[in-house]
Amino acid sequence: MSAKSRTEKPAKGSATALSLKSLSAYYGSFRAVKDVSLEVAAQSVTALIGPSGCGKSTLIRTINRMHETTTGARVEGTIEIEGVDIYDPQIDPVRVRRSIGMVFQKPNPFPTMSIAQNVVSGLRLAGQTNKAALAAIVEDSLRKAALWDEVKDKLNQPGTSLSGGQQQRLCIARAIAVKPEIILMDEPCSALDPIATLKIEELIRTLREEYTIVIVTHNMQQASRVSDTTAFMTMGEDRAGYLVESGPTPKMFTAPEQRLTEDYVAGRFG
Amino acid sequence: MSGRVGASHPFALSARDLRRRRLNRMMRLVIAATTALAILPLVGITVLIVSNGVGRLTPEFLFNGPLGSPPGIVNAIQGSLAMTFVATLISAPIGIAGGVYLNEYASPRVTALGEYLIDVMLGVPSILAGLFAYLAIVPLLGFSGWSATIALSVLMIPVVMRTTQEVMRLVPAGLREASLALGVSSWKTSVFIVGRTAFSGILTGVVLAISRGLGETAPLLMTALGSNDEAINLGAPMSAMPIVIYNNAGSSDPQMVAEAWTTALVLFAIALVLNVAVRFKTVNSRIA
Amino acid sequence: MALSTRLRVRSRITADGFFRWALAAAVAAAALLLVAVIYTIANFSTPLWGAVKPLDFLFGSGWNGVSVDEAGVTKVQYGAWPMIWGTLVTSLIGILVAAPVGILAAVYLVEFAPRRLAAPLTFLVEIVAAIPSVVIGLWALGDLSPRLRDSVEWWIASTLGHVIPWLSENPEAPSSTTVFRAGIVLAIMITPMVVAVGREVIRSVPQSLREGYIGMGATEWETIRAVVLPTARIGLIGAVLLAFGRAIGETIAVRLVIGMADSAVPSSLFQSGSSVAAKIAGNIGEADLAVERGALAGLGLALFAVTFVLSLCVRVLIRRANGGAGRGR
Repeated sequence: MSAKSRTEKPAKGSATALSLKSLSAYYGSFRAVKDVSLEVAAQSVTALIGPSGCGKSTLIRTINRMHETTTGARVEGTIEIEGVDIYDPQIDPVRVRRSIGMVFQKPNPFPTMSIAQNVVSGLRLAGQTNKAALAAIVEDSLRKAALWDEVKDKLNQPGTSLSGGQQQRLCIARAIAVKPEIILMDEPCSALDPIATLKIEELIRTLREEYTIVIVTHNMQQASRVSDTTAFMTMGEDRAGYLVESGPTPKMFTAPEQRLTEDYVAGRFG
Repeated sequence: MSGRVGASHPFALSARDLRRRRLNRMMRLVIAATTALAILPLVGITVLIVSNGVGRLTPEFLFNGPLGSPPGIVNAIQGSLAMTFVATLISAPIGIAGGVYLNEYASPRVTALGEYLIDVMLGVPSILAGLFAYLAIVPLLGFSGWSATIALSVLMIPVVMRTTQEVMRLVPAGLREASLALGVSSWKTSVFIVGRTAFSGILTGVVLAISRGLGETAPLLMTALGSNDEAINLGAPMSAMPIVIYNNAGSSDPQMVAEAWTTALVLFAIALVLNVAVRFKTVNSRIA
Repeated sequence: MALSTRLRVRSRITADGFFRWALAAAVAAAALLLVAVIYTIANFSTPLWGAVKPLDFLFGSGWNGVSVDEAGVTKVQYGAWPMIWGTLVTSLIGILVAAPVGILAAVYLVEFAPRRLAAPLTFLVEIVAAIPSVVIGLWALGDLSPRLRDSVEWWIASTLGHVIPWLSENPEAPSSTTVFRAGIVLAIMITPMVVAVGREVIRSVPQSLREGYIGMGATEWETIRAVVLPTARIGLIGAVLLAFGRAIGETIAVRLVIGMADSAVPSSLFQSGSSVAAKIAGNIGEADLAVERGALAGLGLALFAVTFVLSLCVRVLIRRANGGAGRGR
């Protein structure tokens, strides 16, 4: 079914949403990601796969400028969105993050806020106060995150009262609420059970109609189930992660060009 | 069916095992007895403060001035509250802001230096805060409530700063990241996400500082001096509950000593209420 | 609005930058305050160093101030040793009692106390730790002091006192204030502190270590002695040093029970003495001469130096105990 929806995908997916050009990421003097160039098509799902420690998470965190929030971390190279380099000194990282949402490994709803408050937290902190508009956004975002039916009667309960899978969908709703164009997901299912994982995967496939999604996963089945494009990373002798190759997901899993990729998807290392 | 375990059975207790067991039982007793010894004076103080103080605890005592009949301690209560209140207004903002800075913004080196600054300030004996205020502030502001508040601030700021920094450090890094990733600016993240989550812990620090300020004696004796005046005037010498207790404690007049006990009861009750409040807040806190 | 135009405005400098600097200013203010305290005390002590040599001040006895003898020669005599001796001895008595008692009580609270007893006992300890020292002093003066005089002090003096001179007393007129009593009062004041910090330290010993040892057939006491206390060792030393620092700086409660014997080191623990902090508090009001205030500031400086070194030690120890990551309180 996923393969079918991929083939039905209209041609608008061919527009480029994001292009990374010779991107390197450092922690202090340690280079964690080396010279990655990658094009991400709009309204598609791109999966980053590779063995643990190969810099997938670091790479995805450079895309919304979260990488630099770690002390001593910096980036070289460029990331362009519609021709604008988001690392240009004229660009405000706060605005970058408002346009590029992120979902983390562990669900992290704000413990002091209710479900509804969590959803609109980004907007309220950005100064939006219109109650009716916010209420509409709560419902809309929760519906898009496939959580509305489960929580509509308890919107005022704390976000932390939900189950792990629900909390993660709440975090997705929270990211959607600020109306980003791109959503980054850093192993969003690694803390969830198989059933909750399936729900998130279904959700990712629906969200793809509206958003550009980049997902880091250590689970190759997951990559093959949800993504249109797969990028395979591994690390070199110097422990710096690099991009081996990227391409349409079915091809990457059946006939990759590089021997390394073939070994990895066949489970021979990693 | 189950027979006694014979001496040759592998699970049987040897003489050595029996000795070890006896030692264990003995040490349990010793430790429990030592604990009782540690607790005993604490219970004794509490009981004595209440039994010696409760007799004179009348509305007149609480609301009359020292020259009224019967004499009371209203000016000391007012003085304690007023000076501690002003000292809190000075030390809470500085302490909270400093704690937030050290946790959210400072480089690791500055954080280490700042933590050391807090350690040293926490270790400054209160007599030195008093000596400082006596030598440097009293010549400027006179023996007054203002001078006392500065001495108290020296002692209260590090309490607030330390607690703020520690509770903010307990806030999971994921919350800060989630907020930044939503495009929330870093100061709003610090205040409305991290600060909000750590709020009850920060409040605990402020209450701890208040409770320290209310109980300090030496710095007040050297700055506020004590007074019989009932007006709340921070520009003049002021009375405070610890000053009354200290001045009356060594008196040969049993009346005066009794007043000291009752004042101690009032001070103790306030300290108790503050501590219970803190405890209640901490238990309810989501992160502590 | 196109994404690229949404990104382009850069406006964060004002709010974020201002906030950051305001917070940094608070740390700077606290640091300045500490510097002001040290500078003031050091500065006011300078008249003393012109009149008395530092070593004569620290290790000399006699606090006679400025006097003119018959030959018309002006003499300045400020000897801090009796006060320093009093501070060290009372704090040592305090810590010698409080450290074992406090640590064992902490062990009891963590390892043995039934749940229903542990919580109220802990609460009691915390409450008493918060009792103002003047209230403890009032209790010490009015209740504890006569009790100690008629029991422990009398008993020690009438047995050991015959053999060891510094444990003797004048049986006709036992002193109404003694160094020993000040030490006991300090012990009672700092025990809750040792218990509270010690309890945290012992609680942080991983349960798996205990289970590993018990699983090998050890008794509870053997586990405490071989696993719990050694693992918690550094943190416990930190707790004791912290309490020692508190004892050294304690003013009011000590002043009420130690007396004001400031001219010589007392020959027995059951005589009046003085302490650094008590001396400052007692004399500062009458110190009109610059050199006299200087002498008291000199005492303050010595006190600060000791507490400074102690906080340094505590920091290093507790840091090491926590594997360099954080610190206790």
